[in-house]
Amino acid sequence: MYELRQVDKHFPGVHALKAVDFKVNRHEIVGLVGENGAGKSTLMKVIYGAYQPDGGDVLIDGTVVRFQNPRMAMDHGIGMVFQEQSLILNLTVMENIFLGYEQQFVKLGVIDWKAMSEAARRQLAKVKLDIDPAMTTSDLSFAQRQLVELAKVLTLEERIDGDLVILLDEPTSVLAQEEVELLFSLVRDLTKRASFIFVSHRMEEVLELSDRIYVMKDGAVVDVVAHDGADKDAIQHKMVGRDVDKEYYREQKQKPYDEDKVLVRFDGVSSGNRYTDISFALHPGEVLCLVGTEGSGREAILRTIFGLETPTKGQVTIKGETISRFTAQNGVKLGVGYTPRERKIEGIVAGMNVYENMTLSQMGNYASAGVLKVNEEKSLARTWIERLGIKTPDVYKDCGGLSGGNQQKVVLAKWRSAGADIMLLDHPTRGLDIGAKEDVYEMIREMCAAGVGVVLVADTLEEAIGLSHTIIVLKDGAFQKRFDGKPGSKPSLYDLVHHMI
Amino acid sequence: MSFERIKPHFPWITLVVLILIVGIANPSFFDPAGLLTLVSDVVPLFIMALGMTFAIYIGGIDLSVQQLANLVTVIATVYLAEFGIAVAVIAIVAGFAIGVISGFVTTRLYVPSFVSTLAMGFVALSAAKFLSGQRALYMDAELRDASFGWMFGNTAGIPHELAIAVVLLVVAWFLQTRTTFGRALKAVGSGELAAIASGLNVDRVKILAFAISGVFAAIAGLLFSVKLSGGDANLANGFLLLAIVAVLVGGTPLTGGVGGVVNTAIGTLIVMVIRSAMVYLEIDATQQQMVFGIVLIAAIALTIDRSKLRGVVK
Repeated sequence: MYELRQVDKHFPGVHALKAVDFKVNRHEIVGLVGENGAGKSTLMKVIYGAYQPDGGDVLIDGTVVRFQNPRMAMDHGIGMVFQEQSLILNLTVMENIFLGYEQQFVKLGVIDWKAMSEAARRQLAKVKLDIDPAMTTSDLSFAQRQLVELAKVLTLEERIDGDLVILLDEPTSVLAQEEVELLFSLVRDLTKRASFIFVSHRMEEVLELSDRIYVMKDGAVVDVVAHDGADKDAIQHKMVGRDVDKEYYREQKQKPYDEDKVLVRFDGVSSGNRYTDISFALHPGEVLCLVGTEGSGREAILRTIFGLETPTKGQVTIKGETISRFTAQNGVKLGVGYTPRERKIEGIVAGMNVYENMTLSQMGNYASAGVLKVNEEKSLARTWIERLGIKTPDVYKDCGGLSGGNQQKVVLAKWRSAGADIMLLDHPTRGLDIGAKEDVYEMIREMCAAGVGVVLVADTLEEAIGLSHTIIVLKDGAFQKRFDGKPGSKPSLYDLVHHMI
Repeated sequence: MSFERIKPHFPWITLVVLILIVGIANPSFFDPAGLLTLVSDVVPLFIMALGMTFAIYIGGIDLSVQQLANLVTVIATVYLAEFGIAVAVIAIVAGFAIGVISGFVTTRLYVPSFVSTLAMGFVALSAAKFLSGQRALYMDAELRDASFGWMFGNTAGIPHELAIAVVLLVVAWFLQTRTTFGRALKAVGSGELAAIASGLNVDRVKILAFAISGVFAAIAGLLFSVKLSGGDANLANGFLLLAIVAVLVGGTPLTGGVGGVVNTAIGTLIVMVIRSAMVYLEIDATQQQMVFGIVLIAAIALTIDRSKLRGVVK
């Protein structure tokens, strides 16, 4: 009933969608997979009306439609559940649900809160969420917020007579296993009323939930597989264009680290109430993984090593030097590199090109008397583009326009080319697809082989276990347990979770 | 061609269109001698706008420039007899110091720059009133010519004022595009958090940006003072709005990170053309600020990078 025919979309320098045919039938759940930069997000934006295609047609029940904006798409029954949650945290749940559509509750110019609350309750019942609609949204858990997002989109049911198409963009990324299952059973239930388009990096989930799966690569649909005929390896092969290595975390490349030398040492370090009495030592060639829940102090420890946070107690030693002044400049000087979690905001500077980003932390090396040697910068960038296989048309490309994996490579190149030998990686593979993740794992192993010490806050526990030599489990800012992770004798998921909560 | 793609070219297209409109309505506009005078007249404003560009480029603003220039006109007039050409150094140091203080207050005390620089502007105004005794002061013509006569006059038909403007533009352009400081400015303007996470001393970059703005404002004040052969706590009034307009219509948005000093040169020329058009159309001087106020709003609305404003869907 919803259909795209030969849809094309161009951006400056990029052919983002190439003659895409896409179809959603009534009561169907359609999966959409592809690597970063394959065109998934562009396709979604076309579907929910944020982008207008340059070529091809959008059809609903066989009639050509053209959406100027998301609101028009919504009026045709197309709703989007955003990955970056779009709720306004200081509003109440009901205000969020009916944001922009309050008119129906207005009586004599004022909002009838009681009516809105009742209507909100009905929406929340659809997603089986039993909370007070007058609650402030920031008090909800991530999982609850995700369900409120869904409830908000489901208000389309009452507003629209025709069929509904609901896009779910990475809805499970912040959810725990039980919550994912709850969401899935809900979505299956709702297919009575609506069709779904489900986008996720987690292949197992897409396989489990979808009736049909569209596989995208380089802006084109390369395959459409039915639920029954779907095979994870085959799909991944199509997405990446090659076999996915079974040795995902490159464990065979994990070499013992150099125990005689110490790069970073923490002696009973505390920082406010973020973490207390933390001690560890990082050695060359070691991947030390900090494991804990959100707010367990992992990020604060990374920021302390880099120099962005000054500890209140204890002693931090970097390469034998006891740190007294904590500044990022000092950290960089000592060879510390920091890859922050918010890649687009803290990792790269959008608006600056590839070579400008790569030399940002080390401009002094590419300047004399404060005057930049731009040619040397460019040749550095070309070297690293080739070395890390960064996909960019040239060194002048704005980093904001690169895909996530390539942005991350630029950030890593920035530190590696400056000779950083203490690397702090905060969720380095967040939001990356399989191919780009593997590239990052490969780089981590290469860095270790070159004698770099890595402090890692991993995206998943599996990743933490797979990559690390040493795991330190934290809970509420306090040290819980240390695990050694030699290949073959790694701790299990259960071992870690047990100490985390 | 989408609007986003034309946007970087908007300023010079606007300039060319305006020149053509004004030129067709009033062919004498193209008279070389008249044009040269017009351009020379706009030099103090241009220098001030040049400095302002640095403050806006990092996403801030410097509202103290006009009062700072006022203060410098007084300083120059009062101390010319005593120090001769060295008053230029005093003026520049004063501009630098006021800029550094604004920058310090902004970065270390977390006072938004529009407030900190506004406050510093009043400090400068007050100092100017105190120093001048609230009177209009005049320079001794002989002393003035001995120290600063070189600023005016012509060589090979080129007014020296214009040459000064070009030199300062080249210096500012070099700073912006060829130095580590300029690169850091761009990083701070485009992505401050990433600049911090790259280990840049962001506070120092910002303080320096305000200091440069102060220095350029001081130079503008000095030039203006010498040109009018006097000093007065109100001499440079009316410059602030025009300087902001020049930067913004030139294509450096309030959100910073793009544009730059060359854009400001174009922006200043746009201001100049609009001003001469208003003279030609016999728009009263009292109404000109109104026109520029409207132009300012239009320029902000057209240039601001909405994706950088928080809470707005891209």
